[in-house]
Amino acid sequence: MPILPLIPRRSLRAALIAAPLLAAGPALAQTAYPLHLSNCGAELTFEAAPASVVSVGQAATEILYALDLGDRVLGTAVWFSSVLPQFEAVNAGVPRLADNDPSFESVVSLRPGLVAVQYEWHIGPQGIVATREQFADLGIPTYVLPSDCIGKDNSIGSDGTRLDLYSMDNLYRGIEELAQIFDVPARGTALVEALRTREAAAIATAEALALDDASAVFWFSSAEMDIDPYVAGQGGAPAYMMQALGLRNVVDSNEEWPVVAWESIARANPSVIVLARMDRRRFEADDIERKLEFLRTDPVVSQMDAVREGRIVILDAHGMDPSIRNIDALETLSAALAGFDLQ
Amino acid sequence: MRIEARNLGWREIVRGVSVEIRPGETFGLVGPNGSGKSTLLKLLAGLMPRAAGEVWLDGAPLSQLSRRQIAQRLALVEQFADTGEALSVRDAVDLGRTPWLSPLSPFGPADTQIVDRALAAVGMEEMAARAWATLSGGERQRVHIARALAQEPRVLILDEPTNHLDIHHQLALLGLVAALPVTVVMALHDLNQAMMCDRLGVMSEGRMVACGKPAEVLTPDNLARIFRVRAQPMIDPSDGSTLFRFLPMETSA
Amino acid sequence: MTRRAALSALAVPVLSRAGLGAVLLALAVLAGVTIGEVALPLGLVGDLLAVKLLGIERALDPIDAGILWSYRLPRTLVAAACGAGLALSGVVLQALVRNALADPYLLGVSAGAGAGAVAVTLLGLGGGAIGLSAGAFGGAASAFLIVALLAKAAGGGPAQLVLAGIAGSQLFNALTSFFIAKSANAEQARGLMFWLLGNLSGVRWPDVSLALPVVGLGFLVCLAHVRPLDAFSFGSGAAASLGIAVRRVQLVLIAAVTLMTATLVSLVGSIGFVGLVIPHAMRFLVGPRHARLIPASALAGAVFLIAADIASRVLIAGQVVPIGVVTALVGAPGFALILIRNRRRP
Repeated sequence: MPILPLIPRRSLRAALIAAPLLAAGPALAQTAYPLHLSNCGAELTFEAAPASVVSVGQAATEILYALDLGDRVLGTAVWFSSVLPQFEAVNAGVPRLADNDPSFESVVSLRPGLVAVQYEWHIGPQGIVATREQFADLGIPTYVLPSDCIGKDNSIGSDGTRLDLYSMDNLYRGIEELAQIFDVPARGTALVEALRTREAAAIATAEALALDDASAVFWFSSAEMDIDPYVAGQGGAPAYMMQALGLRNVVDSNEEWPVVAWESIARANPSVIVLARMDRRRFEADDIERKLEFLRTDPVVSQMDAVREGRIVILDAHGMDPSIRNIDALETLSAALAGFDLQ
Repeated sequence: MRIEARNLGWREIVRGVSVEIRPGETFGLVGPNGSGKSTLLKLLAGLMPRAAGEVWLDGAPLSQLSRRQIAQRLALVEQFADTGEALSVRDAVDLGRTPWLSPLSPFGPADTQIVDRALAAVGMEEMAARAWATLSGGERQRVHIARALAQEPRVLILDEPTNHLDIHHQLALLGLVAALPVTVVMALHDLNQAMMCDRLGVMSEGRMVACGKPAEVLTPDNLARIFRVRAQPMIDPSDGSTLFRFLPMETSA
Repeated sequence: MTRRAALSALAVPVLSRAGLGAVLLALAVLAGVTIGEVALPLGLVGDLLAVKLLGIERALDPIDAGILWSYRLPRTLVAAACGAGLALSGVVLQALVRNALADPYLLGVSAGAGAGAVAVTLLGLGGGAIGLSAGAFGGAASAFLIVALLAKAAGGGPAQLVLAGIAGSQLFNALTSFFIAKSANAEQARGLMFWLLGNLSGVRWPDVSLALPVVGLGFLVCLAHVRPLDAFSFGSGAAASLGIAVRRVQLVLIAAVTLMTATLVSLVGSIGFVGLVIPHAMRFLVGPRHARLIPASALAGAVFLIAADIASRVLIAGQVVPIGVVTALVGAPGFALILIRNRRRP
């Protein structure tokens, strides 16, 4: 496991905020090139901002759009849901290489200056599209969102195993580094600031409830309707959300999305059940209506307190994976908690 | 029981064979390898698919009988029948009662007696509990025959039954078979043993080229032509029966 | 041989043997229902039976009672049905194709079921209206049809059936791999892998009402054919000369086996080794005569799979091991023993 040097976030932020104050005139803060970055075990050097980028992974794409870099995106791939409404216009003008995994050649043929990656299992040591070395051999640098590799071992468990609890800081770092790479550090800072503020507000709302031993389970989907479900383990973005809001995760596993029997979940009797809503229709349980129907009609699950009292929260599925949507999810969950009678 | 073949054929291996075998007679079938003996026997038992011609049992065509009915009248002992199962000798012979059993008449004491008699007839009653896998080739052959006997057939069809047997058991078997009141159709390799049959049929290249008493059919001419062997007939002074001494064909001098 | 002679010398009458079997099965079901990720007390079982069967009022924790009645009991019953059905299929196929290595999956049914399930899930065949199970059944039926046609075209004997089954299995397994490689992301692939290795976790009462009658029917069909099955010991030619309507018997038995296997695989995925190892173990204990082998194998298969299901749930704390893995862990050494034992014969 490579040891990742941590960029001292505070000092960077301080520097970025201070920079415009120190500079003479209204000039925006700029990146100092050549820029050296350690990114998920690879050393990256940028002589200048890349002219173009291909984004493999909706989370990475939406970060680029949020940083107003849509005009530099040559193509996108790996979509889990419709793009956030505020980016619809921009996205319409960007070619989509694939809804799922793109081929290596389709990415390379666009000759991008950078490939931004959401998941290592797309582009990484066992990447199904390619390894990072394959791109490097052709002179194309790849940037993997730190949220997929910091404190996570992608060689264990199907979706990887979290070694440390996921932290929004990892996402913020990804935002800031991408902003740096593209020579728009101020936008990165601003975005992170905005997200942090919302994060803090959501946490404060939950803290005000003074919850005492409230628990939760996040149900993503199931291979068949009645079969053991995929639920959020300790360590991923949902686990972070639960911890931030004072909820205990009834699932023990370190895997990102382990399979746990309904039997065990029912006995643990969580206070709140969080369901994932998604556009995909591969498994019966993908459909939020089917999930709700299952909760209502299954003889054991329907007996859970959370189901009987209606303490069910529906979140966008993509908000359960590391992305800027985590903040939307956090806010929704926090607001919902306030609405429940949880004591 | 009379068994009659009418123009039996199967592909090119048996062609247009017609023969009538009388009730109670011991009919031998001889011929060189590949002449179609085994196939003809299976045709008589009604076991070859898409056969040409017909077989009649006591004036009724085989095609009108069910397999079960056929099995109650006719038993076939094939040349190579083996099993991988851990059967005992008695288990194997018990199978012979299959065509007579039904849910309403399961295996009972009468059946056990029949099986005992069959075992005794082939001299295997001491070895009834032995495992199949421990038997020699000859012993297995005798068990197969016992199974056929347990079927209590009226026609017994045997494909080279003496093949793996030692001389003692060969003679014992032939004696047993000859003494049975049933009709016997038997393919034989040993032409001298064939002399003891009531009648013989000689097969050559799928056709029955001769049929009649052994002395009439196994003439030195026929033997030279069909079996390509020189036969020297000799008379046994003790009972006047004919045996053959076989010599290779003379090459033209 | 002497062991078997000794057992039959004990001459335990048939009825009391059946009674013994029933008791053993009941104990296995009891174990399956109370042992699991969380152990449920036996008292709960008694209370639940009192409520359900006798209508007596008892205060039961709804979740515990629900787990016992709606999850564990159907699961255990289907495990029993599955084990019995697979073992029966193994016995029948080994007799028909005269090969000790015959297994219900030989006919390509399991591979077809896998391909069908994958097609429905990954390619979205049926647009989400058809579940995994229906896709699996369709796949199983199609695969067997293809195998049967291929066997017929190749001449139609047992050896041809085995070879056609191998060809069919390879084809459908390749299709499955292709579908997965083409369209699955890690999570979908994992869901399918879990199912392909056997998964009893989604079993509920409707599945019981499918599995039990199908296996029950199959059992009756096999019982009705114990003598023909014995007659096949020396081959289909010998069976015919013993008065067995060979083609009809083969057709009926293979149809029964296919129906049982396709149904079971579509319900719980692919569980291997049961049909291979249980018949052999039972032959060792009760002998090769099918009148004893059929009921013994059904019982042993049922108990074995219940035990395997329990093991799959308690082997690793907090995690469920796919049941196909458990049966393989037991079955593979068992299979090795079979091979060694068979080799000692001359």
